[in-house]
Amino acid sequence: MPVTFHIPGALREFTAGHSKVEIEHSPAILAEALSALWTLYPGVRDRIATEQGQVREHINIFIGDENIRYTGGLASPIFDGVEISIVPAVSGG
Amino acid sequence: MIGQVLGHCRVVAKIGEGGMGIVYRAYDEVLHRDVAIKVVKKDARLDTSSSQRLLHEARASSSLAHPNICTIHEVGENEGELYIVMELVEGKSLAVMSAAIGLAPESVMRYGVQIASALARAHDRGIVHRDLKTTNIVVTADGLVKVLDFGLAKQMSSGIFEGPTRSFASVENMSSVSGTLPYMAPEILRGEAVDHRGDLWALGVVLYEAASGRLPFEGRTGFEISSAILRETPNPLGPPVPPGLWAIIQRCLTKEPIQRYQRAGEVQAALEAVQSAGIVSASPSADPGAPRTTVLHSVRHAHVRKGDFLLLVGTTKGAFILRSTAQRSRWEVCGPYFHGHSVYAMAFDGRDGQHRIWASTQSYWGTLLRSSDDFGKSWTNPQQAPIRFPADTGVSLKNIWQIALGQPEEPNVLYCGVEPAALFETRDAGETWSLVRGLFDHPHRPRWMPGNGGLALHTIVLDPADEQRMYVAISAGGVYRTNDGGRAWTAQNQGIRAMTMPDKYPEFGQCVHKIAMHPARPERLFLQSHWGLYRSDNRAENWLDIANGVPSDFGFAMLTHPRNPDCVYIVPVESDEFRCACDGRLRVYRTRNGGASWEPLARGLPQKRAYETVLRDAMTADSFDPVGIYFGTRSGQLFGSRDEGRTWQKIVEGLPSVVCVRNAVVEDASGGIWPTLPKPAPALSRSAKSRSKSKTRRTER
Repeated sequence: MPVTFHIPGALREFTAGHSKVEIEHSPAILAEALSALWTLYPGVRDRIATEQGQVREHINIFIGDENIRYTGGLASPIFDGVEISIVPAVSGG
Repeated sequence: MIGQVLGHCRVVAKIGEGGMGIVYRAYDEVLHRDVAIKVVKKDARLDTSSSQRLLHEARASSSLAHPNICTIHEVGENEGELYIVMELVEGKSLAVMSAAIGLAPESVMRYGVQIASALARAHDRGIVHRDLKTTNIVVTADGLVKVLDFGLAKQMSSGIFEGPTRSFASVENMSSVSGTLPYMAPEILRGEAVDHRGDLWALGVVLYEAASGRLPFEGRTGFEISSAILRETPNPLGPPVPPGLWAIIQRCLTKEPIQRYQRAGEVQAALEAVQSAGIVSASPSADPGAPRTTVLHSVRHAHVRKGDFLLLVGTTKGAFILRSTAQRSRWEVCGPYFHGHSVYAMAFDGRDGQHRIWASTQSYWGTLLRSSDDFGKSWTNPQQAPIRFPADTGVSLKNIWQIALGQPEEPNVLYCGVEPAALFETRDAGETWSLVRGLFDHPHRPRWMPGNGGLALHTIVLDPADEQRMYVAISAGGVYRTNDGGRAWTAQNQGIRAMTMPDKYPEFGQCVHKIAMHPARPERLFLQSHWGLYRSDNRAENWLDIANGVPSDFGFAMLTHPRNPDCVYIVPVESDEFRCACDGRLRVYRTRNGGASWEPLARGLPQKRAYETVLRDAMTADSFDPVGIYFGTRSGQLFGSRDEGRTWQKIVEGLPSVVCVRNAVVEDASGGIWPTLPKPAPALSRSAKSRSKSKTRRTER
């Protein structure tokens, strides 16, 4: 079962307009899944992660309904068929 | 046919077959490129005159140079067989992509804009497609739309090339009609005169099919289909198709041509207006790692002419470009560019004949340096952030506070001051940037302290008389100077108070808000600190307090007069705790004697309950005589003076918080512009002197 990323509108210009991106192979952890995502769509990488490879402060990633901040961050386990959502955090001014 | 040479193209392989023609892949042995060749079968129902008309039309279509139109390279005959050599387009047809459930509305609009753009170009040249349908629209792997077979349909009355083109055998009196029935406009079926608006109907059918996966007018026979086209309205498209897109489709599918859109450009504009947030990708590159360009739609753009004057305004929620004439009395406000992104730094680079606007953008999605060569209509949107800390630093970029041009004789050199405090340099006009290690590795750096706005290198000043010398200001680190092009740096803060430290005169750690230099006296610098106004007459070796008669020596913005080296402008605020204009009176202060005394400039500025703040880069001076001064406030007001500050006018209000203001004058008809220099005007350098002879006016900060 592929892993499916839900791409927010702001990043779709880097995913050829796709709101969903499926990763065909089976990553074990989130970092692998993200790596596969930005192999497909390199422009997404720097929008989601800093140059040091950390998820940006005001970006939340959910595996299913769980925020990865509480499931192990980039080392969070990934299961077949899971849906991963990338969304801006509630913040601002 | 395989292996044969048609014209100068060797046929390589068969790639498709339609009703009356076969399509081959071929190789152009002269121009060394892959092409497609369509060869009309010998038994095709083309008489001599039809063949000639087809040749004529194909040759006319070959003049259509447009990125969304499949280019026809050549037409010819070979032993009685007609052939057409064209661009080889590899991708999926829109018919295949739309099958079953249709595409996401964003994709429909993105492709629709490109199709409409192609039609607009062809119609402008008097060429009508006449057989637009999803099977002859191909989308490449990069998302680029190519419309095939322009101008070929008219002579190919039975649908020569594409299998899906239907025969009209079941429709009476249709033998002389070109096109494909489900895409055919009512006026065609009525036997009326047909023009380019028939293509706009077909575009409506294409958009409907792309959005839903089904045709708007269906039937089991040709008669049923044509009856539906003539009399029925299509089933409405609901969510996820946005109402705006459905309205555009409906208008394309209006039975009477006069009630439809009249031009393809109107459809294109309508689709662009519906696209959310106004940002779409333009002509995506085949190389996924290549630089990208983003076109901003649904944004008012400046149409800049010779002699125009521009203000570049960065705010916490986007950038604006204000255009005026040299009179600077009426303003066209263009933008916002980068909706919702903070734009802390802008710059204009007019060196070497260019007219490039630079902007830094900061949002949830990171910080980028971007540029525009067409006054904001399109901006670079690099896939990889061009300014990034090396992995070994363990540091991540937060914001870009300053964009500074290098010396005029080095037009490819620029600098960026960033947060966390560091200096970046490019020597190839922004293609690649590198961290200036000499400053980053300075032993003081671990002891610099962030201020309210973070730990930022926000000011860069180059010495026009010595290309090896440069000054930077850091909050809170103080002033640093290099005399060797950036390898070694020394703290230059002697005489500057540090009110927030136990030692009031430390070697470094002062929260310097801005430094300014006049190019005519590069040994002299002025400085606005967290508390304190200073001047140095010896290249920052030491600093003298010049807060003589100002209501407060706390402030942010500071700039030098472009011609008078003794003249400096500041906008004091009340205190560290209350960073607003003193007594609620918005007043610019000016010295004309190097800081020996200061005078308020308030005529025309609000003097009651004006609790305004002018931030460190939100003030700029033009180069007219008398000089114009402009500043923006944290409350989103922009003020200007055309008489060196004697009187002021409000230019615009209601902007987001203004953090950066720069200016430029359009100098010549070629679009060359002299920039607002975030560094001293190089009036003393040889190249600057030579330029000043050829240009009548330059713009300075």
